[in-house]
Amino acid sequence: MTPRRPLLEALVAMLRRDDVLVSCLGANSRYLPHLDVRAPTFALCDSMGAAIPLALGMALQRPDRHLVALEGDGSLLMCPNVLATVAAARPSNLTALLWVNGHYESSGGQDLPSAPVDWPSLARGFGIAHVERVGDVAALSAAFPRARAAKAPALLIVDVAFDPNEPIPPYSERPAEIRARFKIT
Amino acid sequence: MSATSLLSGAQRIVAGLETAGVTLAASVPDTWIGKLMATVRASQTIRAVDAAREEEAVAIACGAALAGGRGAVLIQNAGLFNCGGVLAGLVELYRIPCFFIVSYRGDRRDPVYYHEPKGRVTEPTLDAWRLPYAIADRTGDLAAQVGRGVHAAQTSRGPFVLLISGEDLE
Repeated sequence: MTPRRPLLEALVAMLRRDDVLVSCLGANSRYLPHLDVRAPTFALCDSMGAAIPLALGMALQRPDRHLVALEGDGSLLMCPNVLATVAAARPSNLTALLWVNGHYESSGGQDLPSAPVDWPSLARGFGIAHVERVGDVAALSAAFPRARAAKAPALLIVDVAFDPNEPIPPYSERPAEIRARFKIT
Repeated sequence: MSATSLLSGAQRIVAGLETAGVTLAASVPDTWIGKLMATVRASQTIRAVDAAREEEAVAIACGAALAGGRGAVLIQNAGLFNCGGVLAGLVELYRIPCFFIVSYRGDRRDPVYYHEPKGRVTEPTLDAWRLPYAIADRTGDLAAQVGRGVHAAQTSRGPFVLLISGEDLE
């Protein structure tokens, strides 16, 4: 299983300046300030499950920009219903990436409820038109452009390694800083 | 009789949203909010978004605000009770304007008996969560009341709740 950082670096390298990135709380938000992210980035440090609907609101407000939302499996397990909301709204400019590691990584690495959630079937069942599952950098690098080109709500399910000893950096930006800097021109 | 007085309450509320520059209304309906959303859908300037759950509606409205628009959330008071986490962890934490129209089920004007427990705790919950709010007055200018609520959310960069009753939509 591939660690998070190379997957995140590969994704960030594919982002364009006119994309917009919304990150869920936890490891992704904590890594992003240490990467060279060209796109405007709104990083959450709380509010599990908010990344995808937040990106949906942005996508509907700004159909000229492509929104990329990062969400964790623990967060989406709390509110998978958001997939139905996205499918109903049918934005052609929203790609969500679901990072699946089976753990609540940011709260101490506890296990998710041990149910064998079939994320691709769940997403398709909710009506998400474009769904792919990837597990390494090469697959992600191939799948992301397809998702962007889908012109329909897209979900990439990213299987990522869980390492309880991974040296994830702490949050380095306060919400007021993130809010003040975030601007979609 | 003025032209305004010929409009229904729902039409006057939506006119207030339009005048206040609201671009997106995210909603989970109940009977009353469903009637209001039917009027929102006729708007040429407000995008109606149907959410599956109220926390999503809040985040969707916040996304619209962060992207340069103005978002509103139209939900029942029971749905507002679901939103404590997202209000604290998104709206308040990141200081995002978010205007709510909330159906005040269970107050003295609500004929449906099973909403009464929700009515009993609505204003105490708003007070406890420090959510600024107003109760719509259908004898006054509803559009202006909406406008003041949107303005309050904008200037405070936070939430504002306008409580409505079914009779306000008539």
